[in-house]
Amino acid sequence: MIYEEPKFLPGGDRFIEMELGDELNFDLNFLVHSLSAKVREAEIPGLIELLPNMASIVLSYDPDGISFGDLKREILSHYHAMGSLEDIELLSPIYYIPVLYCDHVTRACWEDYCAKIGDKEYDPDLMVRLNDLDGYAQLARIHSGTEYWVSALGFYPGLASLIALDPRCRMTAPKYNPPRTWTPKGTIGYGGSVTCVYPANTPGGYQIIGHTPVPVCDIAQRLPAFKDDLALLRPGDRVRFLPVERAEYDYVESRVEEGNYVHNVARYAKFSIREYHHWLETLDMTERF
Amino acid sequence: MTVAIAVEKAGLETSVQDFPGRYGFWEQGFPPSGPFDMWSFRLANILVGNEPAAAGLECQFMGPTLVFSDDCVIALCGAAMNATLDGAAIPMWESLTVTAGQKLACGFATKGARAYLAISGGIDVPPVLGARATFHMAGVGGADGHALKDGQTLHAIGGEGVPGRRVKEACRPTIANGKEWQIEVVQGPNDDWISAEGIERFLASEWKLQARSNRTGYRLEGPDWLFAEKASTKGPEHGEHPSNILDHGYPVGSINLCGQTPIILVNDAPSAGGFINPFTVPSAAFWKLAQSKPNDIYRFHRISVEEAQEMRRAIDKLCSEKSIA
Amino acid sequence: MRFDEAKFLPGGDQFILVQFGDDGSIDLNFLALGLTAALKHDQTRGVIDTNPSYNSLVVEYESDDISYADLQVELERLIGGLGSVEELELESRLAYLPVMYLDLWTRDCVADYSEKISPREYDPDFVARVNGLEDAKQLVRVHSGTEHWVVAVCSTPGLPLLRALDPRCAITSPKYNPPRTWTTLGAIGVGGLSTSIYTTPGPGGYNLIGRTPVPLWDPRQCHPIFKDRVVLLDAADRVKFVPIDAEEFEYIEARVADGSYEFNITAYQRFSVGAYKKWVASLNADGKF
Repeated sequence: MIYEEPKFLPGGDRFIEMELGDELNFDLNFLVHSLSAKVREAEIPGLIELLPNMASIVLSYDPDGISFGDLKREILSHYHAMGSLEDIELLSPIYYIPVLYCDHVTRACWEDYCAKIGDKEYDPDLMVRLNDLDGYAQLARIHSGTEYWVSALGFYPGLASLIALDPRCRMTAPKYNPPRTWTPKGTIGYGGSVTCVYPANTPGGYQIIGHTPVPVCDIAQRLPAFKDDLALLRPGDRVRFLPVERAEYDYVESRVEEGNYVHNVARYAKFSIREYHHWLETLDMTERF
Repeated sequence: MTVAIAVEKAGLETSVQDFPGRYGFWEQGFPPSGPFDMWSFRLANILVGNEPAAAGLECQFMGPTLVFSDDCVIALCGAAMNATLDGAAIPMWESLTVTAGQKLACGFATKGARAYLAISGGIDVPPVLGARATFHMAGVGGADGHALKDGQTLHAIGGEGVPGRRVKEACRPTIANGKEWQIEVVQGPNDDWISAEGIERFLASEWKLQARSNRTGYRLEGPDWLFAEKASTKGPEHGEHPSNILDHGYPVGSINLCGQTPIILVNDAPSAGGFINPFTVPSAAFWKLAQSKPNDIYRFHRISVEEAQEMRRAIDKLCSEKSIA
Repeated sequence: MRFDEAKFLPGGDQFILVQFGDDGSIDLNFLALGLTAALKHDQTRGVIDTNPSYNSLVVEYESDDISYADLQVELERLIGGLGSVEELELESRLAYLPVMYLDLWTRDCVADYSEKISPREYDPDFVARVNGLEDAKQLVRVHSGTEHWVVAVCSTPGLPLLRALDPRCAITSPKYNPPRTWTTLGAIGVGGLSTSIYTTPGPGGYNLIGRTPVPLWDPRQCHPIFKDRVVLLDAADRVKFVPIDAEEFEYIEARVADGSYEFNITAYQRFSVGAYKKWVASLNADGKF
């Protein structure tokens, strides 16, 4: 649900959590990112940073520059000044990322977990079973069959939360319990109804179903895609995964290592919310890829 | 004017930090990092004539042994680490001259947990993403992105520090030897996920700081939390456990409830995630967290947003020349 | 070259040809498609149909409802209303079409020509060679790496004429001389600056590099997607080819045959010519996939 009025909740002396709603819903996420863009442009004195996420924005402010009450008032006025959600159109770059599904790298990680922490069903098997799929081929087909919307960045540098734009491709997955102590960088994870690419070797709890040699975060900024930024993805971007075979995976990996891998990104499409709503209505929700 | 500093022994986890840390990259997943005890850190800088923001060393539990190749002025504030200069004990909270060749040796923290070493001119490392603060998890900032290593050489800019300056006692954080702390908290943002009884229980209970605590998170041990109805009637996308919420940003200082384990998110903590934050530790109380040791006991004292802001202002005022005798 | 003023030429009593320029510059196609969209929106009286091409648009009209001269005036007005080419934003769906590159069927077709008509190098090797690419695999990478713009749907029903949007993926190749007498149904061919998909097994001259199991037209309208349309693609749509293997090809073929295949087309984007030009200008010409 999108709240009638957003809630402003204190986070200590210098943070406010602004809740715009309480569900996983694109309209809500568009609202979050459009409002964030507007607020950033407004350059409110005393406001230090914004941290938008699925359905909320955490505001970091300087209490000597602006009070809780004044900041709340300012943000609310921008919120109310926003036009209809339907009119929103955002330039949305799309990233094409090659993935080797049910790969050797994540299998090794799962084997290690079973050996050291506890027995666990092989992640792709679990995904197939819980989502009623035919097998690994359909898992790859469904996972790669949709564009994903970058709804938030957070938890770890460069980690983007991706939500399937095509509802027919939304799957579900529980998290590891207890979590893994390590996950190979480039792992494709699925947790709840969110997918991600692990930007570095970190602990994690998502089911691991594939691997990409393409970096999504590069602190050393070695590759051209990271010339101006450390993280590849931004909220409002889209990602499409492309299933590849081992030979192509190895080729991409070697180009990344050589430092001349060219990320595949197209930056000329505007995402239209009105058209997205229309498109959703045309889908036959009983069918799957 | 540059001062070369040989790191003979790095200590337990000594890192370069600057104040207030790294800002502007939160959205890309970078926490602020920066000094945990911002009060002691700034005073150390002021003592040696630096801007309060200048890069200095944060020494945790056991400090480093450093050999200075050039003259400079230093100051050590925060936890007492039985520091010696060429074997002779040196005072805390006071600026002093170090001459070329002298060795500063820090031991284990006796009172408190973290000490801050400021060197005239500030530590000279290249800023990464706008700050010299170290974020070790991503290998960013400080000395090559990590804590100091044995055998490394650091450099300080050097400069016109004045020895013999001292922080008035009343202007220092009170780092007692006791194992109990009263920590201020502001209720929220997600306090409505906890039942009224649960709120009272949190505020009335003793919470033990677990050994597995560090700059990424302070894990607390105590009674179970009691959840409000909202925590179980929420939509499935939030997650199964009552403490699960749709992913959201984490204010720095949040008491993040992971299942039944509260973890205070401090300087290097993750920027966002899927657990609730029923209470937040305000900036002004961070020095207490910084000076705690594993197994210390916390009792939380609820204050308002305005009171928390006042407390912070008061500490900011103390981080100035006014506090120097 | 783009003409300062669009040229209008009669095509018998029912057609008017609007020419924007005389070369294959993609801007001219954007203008033609912009005018197509404007005509549709304007619902100009007397206009029966439109047929865009590389750099021109043929308009079919009913002379009882509007004269040639009046129609020209209307068209001039609409062209004026388009503004500069950079301001154009076109509705543009994105179709993900699975392709088995370097497949056996087109290999057989080429071999058959080589044996019966004139010996020739295996088409993918040939195209790779004349474009300075390492090998056929890199051709696949480059061809599938870019989105392709549907310039027009023409020649035979449903046949899309495609151009690579990413200039780093532009390839050129001479056509068969003499042409083939038959072509594998569903073959992907490249010739000149374009890519085409053979929707009928007739003669052809493009170099064959792969095959898609997905139908692009269906006169009998068996498959649900053809319920409201006869051909799959429209001018101004885009196509992204997704490489698949033989197993996946067979799977898709079976689902097409039983009518359960789910087409993968997103329809929530608007193509921004301005953003496209900016993106093209930002690309490192040396960076190749």
